[in-house]
Amino acid sequence: MKLIFEKSVKGRDGYSLPQDLFDDIKIEECLPEYVISKNKKILSEVSEVDVVRHFTKLSKLNYGLDDGFYPLGSCTMKYNPKINEKLASLSNFIYAHPLAPENTVQGCLEVAYDLNKLLCEITGMDEYTMAPAAGAHGELTGILIMRKYFVDRGNIRHKMLIPDSAHGTNPASAAMGGFQVVEVKSNEKGTINLKELVELMDEDTVGLMLTNPNTVGLYDEGIEEIEKIVHDKGGLLYYDGANLNASLGIIRPGDAGFDIVHLNLHKTFSTPHGGGGPGAGVIGVKKDLIPYLPTPNVAFNSDQKKYYLLDAGEKSIGMVRAFWANFSVLVKTYAWILSMGPDGLYNASKTSIINANYVLAKLKKYYKPAYDRYCGHECTVTGREYKKYGVKTLDIAKRIMDYGMHPPTIYFPHFEPYAEETIMVEPTESESKEMLDKFIDIMIKISDEAKTNPELLTTAPHITPIRRTNDALAVKRAILTYDDELKLKDELNYKNENIEF
Amino acid sequence: MRYIPTTEEQKKEMLKEIGVSSFEDLIESIPQNLRLKDKLNIPEAISESELEDKIYRLAKKNADFNSMKPLIGAGSYRHFIPEAVKFLLQREEFWTCYTPYQPELSQGTLQSIFEYQSYISRLTKMEVIIPSIYDGASAAAEAALMSLRLTHKNKIIVSNLLHPHYRETIKTYLAPHETEIIDLPYKNGLVDMEKLKILIDEDVASIIIQSPNFFGGIEDMAKISEIVHSKSVLLINVIVESMSLGILKAPGDIGADIVAGNAQSFGMDLNYGGPYNAYLGTRKQYIRQLPGRIVGETVDVDGKRVFVMTLRAREQDIRREKATSNICTNHNLNVLAANIFLSLMGTEGLYQISLLNAKSAHYLENLLLKSGKFEKVFNYPFYNEFLLKSKEDISTVNKKLLENNFIPPLKICEFYQADNLKNVLLFAVTETLSRDNLNNAAKILSE
Amino acid sequence: MTNKVIENLYYTKSDEWLKVEDSIGTMGITDYAQDQLGDIVYLEKIEKGKKMKQDETLTTIESVKAVSDIKTPVTGEVTEVNIKVIEDASIINKEPYIEGWIAKIKIENKDELKNLMSAQEYSEYRKE
Repeated sequence: MKLIFEKSVKGRDGYSLPQDLFDDIKIEECLPEYVISKNKKILSEVSEVDVVRHFTKLSKLNYGLDDGFYPLGSCTMKYNPKINEKLASLSNFIYAHPLAPENTVQGCLEVAYDLNKLLCEITGMDEYTMAPAAGAHGELTGILIMRKYFVDRGNIRHKMLIPDSAHGTNPASAAMGGFQVVEVKSNEKGTINLKELVELMDEDTVGLMLTNPNTVGLYDEGIEEIEKIVHDKGGLLYYDGANLNASLGIIRPGDAGFDIVHLNLHKTFSTPHGGGGPGAGVIGVKKDLIPYLPTPNVAFNSDQKKYYLLDAGEKSIGMVRAFWANFSVLVKTYAWILSMGPDGLYNASKTSIINANYVLAKLKKYYKPAYDRYCGHECTVTGREYKKYGVKTLDIAKRIMDYGMHPPTIYFPHFEPYAEETIMVEPTESESKEMLDKFIDIMIKISDEAKTNPELLTTAPHITPIRRTNDALAVKRAILTYDDELKLKDELNYKNENIEF
Repeated sequence: MRYIPTTEEQKKEMLKEIGVSSFEDLIESIPQNLRLKDKLNIPEAISESELEDKIYRLAKKNADFNSMKPLIGAGSYRHFIPEAVKFLLQREEFWTCYTPYQPELSQGTLQSIFEYQSYISRLTKMEVIIPSIYDGASAAAEAALMSLRLTHKNKIIVSNLLHPHYRETIKTYLAPHETEIIDLPYKNGLVDMEKLKILIDEDVASIIIQSPNFFGGIEDMAKISEIVHSKSVLLINVIVESMSLGILKAPGDIGADIVAGNAQSFGMDLNYGGPYNAYLGTRKQYIRQLPGRIVGETVDVDGKRVFVMTLRAREQDIRREKATSNICTNHNLNVLAANIFLSLMGTEGLYQISLLNAKSAHYLENLLLKSGKFEKVFNYPFYNEFLLKSKEDISTVNKKLLENNFIPPLKICEFYQADNLKNVLLFAVTETLSRDNLNNAAKILSE
Repeated sequence: MTNKVIENLYYTKSDEWLKVEDSIGTMGITDYAQDQLGDIVYLEKIEKGKKMKQDETLTTIESVKAVSDIKTPVTGEVTEVNIKVIEDASIINKEPYIEGWIAKIKIENKDELKNLMSAQEYSEYRKE
């Protein structure tokens, strides 16, 4: 499709200006010549009609969650309620300046304060900070809290234990937090190898980061021993809450002994993914860690009956972003929790667990599971046995697109010996049995095609707006802006039919 | 529950097909003694209409911000957002989709990110653009970390006129690295050039300067660049009010090695502090040290021009603990908001609105000085924010403004303790304030 | 999966090969390694004169979907670097053993060669 720049026509405009442009003020008299740009910055010149058509057309090249099944494992692509969007866009919220006087934003502060209480109850923690803007941001915040906790005690520790099944952000966050990453292997059941954990956990280790159920969708039955092993050596237990959708109303990380928890509000709590955010990665802690939370916190003065922003104190790790939260995401989360209530939350987890196990039970004849046991809210099967037909798991995923669905997560998690060529399916509670049956049918069809007509898969997808991309070329040529493309115009020589209007 | 299609009947069927007698069998591995015995102690579910009522009532506890005119910026600026931005943004294909890992199903997202990268590259004159870090503060921190990696040094200089929240965030991110962070003081509302010459040496990885700075002052970046580069130090230019890019010189033209910019002014509502979005810009030679996602152009098997996430080997899912950053989900929808905004503004619109911001701000400053109730603190060139010392107590001044439906300016003493900054306000003016509004504000403050 | 090996070369457990001529060792990555990586796009610069120990990371190699450390097969000083593969890393995919050589090292201690595998041993090691 043409770029907006290619639709630009000199003299066309898409904006409106007020009549009064303050012509009585001469900019040359206000600003020295050395700061003003000599030339206008060239963007594009298109009309509002062009813009609306351009982005409408672009949107149709996307597959969204409201289009259908989006079973990405560990992403929790659940339905985004529309009423929550409306409530987050109320004008008293969207036009509220973050530094407005506290008495003008009591509504905002009350939302955050209440949400804090709800999240504490749901997860069994003592206090939440709303600061982190995403899961990884939450991980970094949590890790910095862990670090400060030990520094404060004059007990500097250098290592962080992370399972081989962990999401890449875990080791990346630990490294950003200044820790050396030590990998703990999974056992043959797909959960933490306790013997190895005992060997690795020592007094130079700050703690263990655990996702539970883990990234293959399995609850770790050794959780009580894990807690003991880590705490016995004075370490802290960090809960990566990406998979909390399997636990609502069933088990709380706080009760299982976790000291720090991050939640992905754009996963478990239904806020929209937006093509890659914004979400929020709020952090909950147990009492001992409250002093280290980022600043500020939302507090309530019960005498004056007023909410206010409270400086977290000198033990705080400081700030991890400007102002204090992704507020509109908090409103949506709050609205969702209120709409679900305790029964709804439990139902969400129960249904997503049943959904995932149903898919697993029906697919395992065709796709060998990574681990043959009941799963949590997501199941991991593999595409390994189709290798002999020359079909990779990637090919299977691309073929799913031809059937009008978004493929599950592929090649993650990836750890030996069983989690290879993985296909991780997370249906969430938003999917009906009919949708699951449809998905299962498609997967069975594809397994057949792999044997009888593998080329159909290796050259898939066929009916999507574009087909398989040359990723190596993208890295080598590094065309990262339209101006880069213009520099290579002669070399590229795109044919007209290859760029639709 | 309307968000959960499966009925109890269907669940029973499914359990049978799974081969278990009850749901309990599926969660066997969760230790019994850790399980919740009772329901969560949260309020029972409310209906959609009750929810609406409740949140409306909460929103009503806020001031009527829509009708209020903000005289405050300090990192969050109210600009007019054309309706088409929000209309297009809400298309579900943009709003609900996931990160574009499967390019065949996400050309809409990918192409719009590429267009945005192109716009920001032209506005900043930086060769490579990362479209989304969470916000300006975390972007500035990532830029600082990047400079440490590029230079293998562990000392940075930070302007005292960098937004206080951004400075705090940099400190937090750098704490594990035990980086020496040197404060660069200001003089007359701009970076103290003499002190800079003294502080700069070959052990410094980078220097972080915000322009326009927290007081609204436009720094002489070209001069700073000369001093900084003579010692092979990287110059990081932080931009908090991106609307300034419409008329001011592009950072790439005046010596910036890395740019970290808050894009909130491009189509994002104030939202009580977030979510906003920030871009990073740098030279092509530093590309592999950039954090975050980037989109590139390539072809598909049919020879069509297509867009994909590229240079992924820097990222956490591939590089894990050796990644340039842990960043995964960012603020992509706001990238789209900014892209649509810039597309509507176009070359001329952005220039005109940017100019209008500067002119209206200078108009108000003149009025307030003329009233005799305010005096200048420093004399520096400013974009759309400026400091003024009030002859009347600023709490009273702000109260008056609030009563007259203005969001009052920032009391600078909340962040700076210098004696000469007592009773000083940081005013911001954007194109959302008409001449009448400004006249009115001046009138109220003259009484 | 491909696993072509060349006789008379030494091999490491981390998939590097070493050709020994007098006291100079030429090294690169094996056919198996290039296949596992997929399309190779980038090789990080190597400094001539750098003193490396056996098994130390010499450089990193990047493909579209992965990044890998390349280890030094023997202790010694880097005497030469193949500029061609720094400029176009995809040569390593096409010809990992000849044109795709990465660096030459002055072998300090020939005893270290005992720690390496023969073509036959490596072939077995990487058999699927």
